[in-house]
Amino acid sequence: MVTVSEGIVDRFSLNLTFVLFLSVVVVTLFMALLTAPQRDELSEFYLGNRTMSPLRNGLAMCGDYLSAATLLGSTGLVALNGYDGLLYLGGTVVAWMMVLLLIAEPLRRAGRFTLGDTLALRLTGLQRPARLALAVCTLVITTLYLVAQLVGSMALLTQFTGEPSAATRTLCVVVIGTIVIVYAAIGGAPGATVIQIIKAVMLVAGVTVTAVMVLHHYDWNPDALLSAAANNSGTGTQFLEPGLRYGVSTTSKLDFFSLELAIVLGLAALPHVLMRLLAPRKIDVLRSSVVWAVGLVGLVCLAAGVLGLGATAVVGRETIAETDHKGDSAVLLLANALGGGILTALLSCLAFVTLLAVAAGLVLAAATSLAHDLYGEVIRKGRASETEELTVARLSAAVIGILAMMLALVSWGANTATLAFLAFAIAASAILPTIVYTLFWRRFTGEGALLSLWGGLICSVLLVLFSPVVSSAPGSFYPGSDFAWFPLQNPGIVSIPAGFLLGWLGSVLSSRQEPQEEAAYEEFEVRMLVGAKE
Amino acid sequence: MPEFSPWHDNSFTYSPPNNEPAPTQRISEDPEFHSLRRAQRRFGVRATVLSVGGFLLYVLLSHSVPGLMNQRLVGHLTLGLALGLGQFLVMAVTSWCYVRHMRSRVDPLARGLGSRLDQHEAHSLRTAASRADAGQTVPPGSRGYRTW
Repeated sequence: MVTVSEGIVDRFSLNLTFVLFLSVVVVTLFMALLTAPQRDELSEFYLGNRTMSPLRNGLAMCGDYLSAATLLGSTGLVALNGYDGLLYLGGTVVAWMMVLLLIAEPLRRAGRFTLGDTLALRLTGLQRPARLALAVCTLVITTLYLVAQLVGSMALLTQFTGEPSAATRTLCVVVIGTIVIVYAAIGGAPGATVIQIIKAVMLVAGVTVTAVMVLHHYDWNPDALLSAAANNSGTGTQFLEPGLRYGVSTTSKLDFFSLELAIVLGLAALPHVLMRLLAPRKIDVLRSSVVWAVGLVGLVCLAAGVLGLGATAVVGRETIAETDHKGDSAVLLLANALGGGILTALLSCLAFVTLLAVAAGLVLAAATSLAHDLYGEVIRKGRASETEELTVARLSAAVIGILAMMLALVSWGANTATLAFLAFAIAASAILPTIVYTLFWRRFTGEGALLSLWGGLICSVLLVLFSPVVSSAPGSFYPGSDFAWFPLQNPGIVSIPAGFLLGWLGSVLSSRQEPQEEAAYEEFEVRMLVGAKE
Repeated sequence: MPEFSPWHDNSFTYSPPNNEPAPTQRISEDPEFHSLRRAQRRFGVRATVLSVGGFLLYVLLSHSVPGLMNQRLVGHLTLGLALGLGQFLVMAVTSWCYVRHMRSRVDPLARGLGSRLDQHEAHSLRTAASRADAGQTVPPGSRGYRTW
């Protein structure tokens, strides 16, 4: 729900934002067209340039991961809730540690285009059903996340024009959606990478410069910033203590822990991030890329923390909450107070470009999964030619984009953060158990994979359906009726263990280890640790 | 092509199919391979438990013992905020240790085993090629032998 009566920025910065956004889009579209795959080669369309430097790869990973929800939503959470918001930012960074330490290198060595390829190396039977399940999970996760981005674009527009009319909303979603489809369908992975890198550079630079301005405003004295934030928060030192938002009751504490769990574990299983991990050809390049990504994400999150505290200190919590009760306007209000119309326009353009880049990565991941897993392996049973699969990939990019646009228009007013967190929870409870078991558990079987994929997906979706997100609470989809018997907003704390448990159960119950399966695992393990030649 | 191989025939990313599972099996029984697996897995699991588990513990502590976390250290900086900043330090140190560990302990082992796998593959390909008509599966010279 966005409740802004009037835009918070003046005509000048609206026009400036428009011009800036348009020039970035035009430049990146041209670059995407120039770098688009020239030949009909699957690997290039799915993974892009595989010999990029670690810094560029790291920037692309950072760009894929950090969405407008981080730039606007997290800083807003910090501005409104202080300490609790900062915890959330911490989780965003810690998530990368698991990717770096456990997942990235084995997955890259044993992977090709999608997770389905890795799974198929290990499973002798039930390979196609497992691919189908993976494709469905990928589709659900990416669609939810895409809708969150598109709804976010409408909410962002609200900051400028006040509550937009239905026509304006449709125009906004259609324009953004079309640009995204062009990036993904024509540009493929090279095109998406271009905008990812440009966006990441803009994001890192923009957030850092604004954080420096905040610190400069307080004469480089962090204590002055903290005390000003506490004073202007209306809650005193409580602002810098845990529990302002989530400390009310045991349920809300559990809820917060559940959210953190989904954030920390969900990243490693997000389809568009997984595809990025498969892109570098050399293992040492991948390692340095992920280290770069950890560093860049850490920098952005630290700066976002400073921005959030700065917004409360400079603008005041009251004003932020009045403008938008979710706090999404905190950064723009801060920019307006510190740098006037120009800085506001720069940061709003940054937010739009961020939306666009993340959405392009998501559409590409979904299209890859649909074309490669669903069409190539399940429907055509591996007999599709490369050209055919490529055409399907481009078409499915368009279909997914259009589907997401329609869903976004229908769900206008939904809380974008909730949608994004649901995507994280599904990723962590359905896809993560399969990744972990595939890579590290000898006795994992196809039945286990199916059970954990479908079980994790159904469990998290059902729990959300019967949670306060959908009914009973103010701001939910059906505030009037009450069928919310699950008290938590985030299903992670139940559905993630459930996903792991189901995977284990399915494997143990189906324990018919055939010698062929043993041999497959041994070959897989050698490939995972030593690597296959390409 | 072995039955369990998931790739269809136009797969070009992976090495040509190897009809005998012998080399990988022999390597997977190698003690060097076991120590490679141990070196990689043990460090990964420990470091993950330390950094991710440490962070989750910090979140739990923040909400269960706020009294402890709210102790002032300097000015407005409480113990909780300092620990939060400390997480970033822990992550930086862990990443650095991981890269160092992989470079010194894991990469040399993987390289050694990898070149042995190559040799074996090249050998079996050579015999396969001499059995069939030469140069049909792999043009000679396109697959470089490691020079050393």
